[in-house]
Amino acid sequence: MDGNILDAMRYVGAGLAMIGAAGAGVGIGLSVQGALTGMARNPDTYGNLLTNMILGIAFSEAIAIYCLVIAFLMLFKVV
Amino acid sequence: METPKRTPWRRWIVLVLMIAGFILGGIFVPVQPEIVVAAEKLIEEPIAENFLGLGPLYLVNTLPTLAVTLVLLVVIAFATNRSLKKSQQTDMVPRGIGNLMEAILEMLYNLTEGSAGPKYARMIFPWFATIMVYVLFANLLKLIPGFESVGVLHHAHGEGHTIAELGGGWANLLPEKVEEGGYVLAPFFRGISVDLNFTVSLAIIAVVMIQVVGFRAQGLGYLSKFFNTRRMFKVPFFGAMDFLVGLLELISEISKILSFAFRLFGNMFAGIVLVAIVAGLLGKISILPAMVMMFELFVGIIQAFVFGMLTMVFMAQATQGHGEEHAEEHAVSAHEI
Amino acid sequence: MEALGINLGLLIVQIIAFIIVFLTLNAWVYKPMLDMMETRKSKIAQGLEDARIAAEARADAEKESAKILANAQVEASKVVREATERAADAVKDVKASAESEAAKARETAIAEAELERNRILGDLRGQVAALAIAAANKLVGEALDEKKQHALLDEFFSGVKSGKVVILDDADFKGDSAEITSALPLTKDEEATVRKDVLSKVGAANVSFRVDPSILGGLVIKVGDKVMDGSVSGRLEGLRQNLK
Repeated sequence: MDGNILDAMRYVGAGLAMIGAAGAGVGIGLSVQGALTGMARNPDTYGNLLTNMILGIAFSEAIAIYCLVIAFLMLFKVV
Repeated sequence: METPKRTPWRRWIVLVLMIAGFILGGIFVPVQPEIVVAAEKLIEEPIAENFLGLGPLYLVNTLPTLAVTLVLLVVIAFATNRSLKKSQQTDMVPRGIGNLMEAILEMLYNLTEGSAGPKYARMIFPWFATIMVYVLFANLLKLIPGFESVGVLHHAHGEGHTIAELGGGWANLLPEKVEEGGYVLAPFFRGISVDLNFTVSLAIIAVVMIQVVGFRAQGLGYLSKFFNTRRMFKVPFFGAMDFLVGLLELISEISKILSFAFRLFGNMFAGIVLVAIVAGLLGKISILPAMVMMFELFVGIIQAFVFGMLTMVFMAQATQGHGEEHAEEHAVSAHEI
Repeated sequence: MEALGINLGLLIVQIIAFIIVFLTLNAWVYKPMLDMMETRKSKIAQGLEDARIAAEARADAEKESAKILANAQVEASKVVREATERAADAVKDVKASAESEAAKARETAIAEAELERNRILGDLRGQVAALAIAAANKLVGEALDEKKQHALLDEFFSGVKSGKVVILDDADFKGDSAEITSALPLTKDEEATVRKDVLSKVGAANVSFRVDPSILGGLVIKVGDKVMDGSVSGRLEGLRQNLK
């Protein structure tokens, strides 16, 4: 087990950066829950809800994607 | 429909394949591949020294996959075209592949019409459908056996694997690692969606086309989404806020490229990493990676749908005026909370 | 960027690839498919429109036929009613003419029968007189004067004695018409006598004669609602009443 401390910190930093994905997971779950409840109550709005649900998922997922980008930047020494 | 020909022997095929997987997994032990984000170079030297004056172009292993995908798509398009032409002369009901494509595309068109209205559906639909079909093929092609597993061996720069010669110029990578003189595998085919070039190019095209659709729908009025001076002189404080929000919209357009590109890439890359790690960890038991592959199939379809759907929804929003768009965003943020 | 594998040349290759895919799919799949969908939609719409027009035309035709039918029915019922009325009229006419004819025939038959009876009774009169005289001769035992006997008998039958109607002697009423009933038909002379007498006594110009053998003899004169009973049967009846 040898290597320099900078590499180790890079891996640790990447892992820590991905903690942010938890928030996105919660956000996606909540938006899907809301959309599914709405669909169950009023199946006629299925198409409209689906579109808006996917949009909402994309917006919350964007946060997780920023985390992923940061993790990549750390892992692969881009900056 | 009720009682089709019972073919009980088909389930034995699955069992035979599973046993064969066990045996082959015992003979050719799965190797945990080197996980890299960038596509591996098949040849170390660039194929074009100065490609379009932008720098060297290497023959990376996504290019063969790209060629395969292109050929496949063109062949399918041609077959569909012939099927449609034939049906146009008879009864307007296509058979075979034309029918399949029509069923899929009609669903997509109805989705577009529902979101964007019949006025702009015709303008938005080709982009939506093309992105979706293209991404779907890119995602599913990488599940074909032989992808990511057959390729050329390079001398490893650092840690490498030992090899066992199979004869005829073929060799098998062994799980044992050596410090020096080892080899690493550069597969011939790597799924194109596990290449940032593919996802970034698609994201750039999608975002640019969103702006183009916006300009075609609203003319120069589309610019007021970014440089919002409508209320600047009537209500100075909120007018200034609107202007700043408009500038934020500009930033959000750029971040759309990022989120488009990395959403697809992240999901697909996670897929291959998962398969590789599960296979490498379990070694001789090769059933679980098959299950992970099934999950990958699902994820690939979902991601293709999401990519196309988001493009379509953003385009539909760009065709609408500023007011409606704001209302929709409020609705979305309400959902998130 | 190099670590992430992003390379401008590869990016451009990918963009070109996408454009190829887009153009191919657009030209070979989307355009014909959307055109086909549109033509199919318009065809269906055309079909629906045609069906609607046809349905309208059919509804119009049905309305028209219903109207024609209703008119025909009205016409037919009118014709039937007229025919029925005409037939009823014709029946009524036929019936009326038949009835009148029958009545006429009956009247003539009755008149003929009466005439015949009167004639027969007139024939009988002589024989009855002869029989009565013979019976009287047998009863009385002596022959009355033949002439006197005849006069008596004539008086018995006709109620006319020496040129006068016996019962009219104390008549105190007047009338326009009189009906004279005798047991046997009167002779012409007697009729003339009765007529003259009735005219002078009662003032009745119209005098009709009837024959009724049931009154046995004498005359019954009916003027208006008054009846002068000079008949033998009436007298016998009165005698019976008195004897009771």
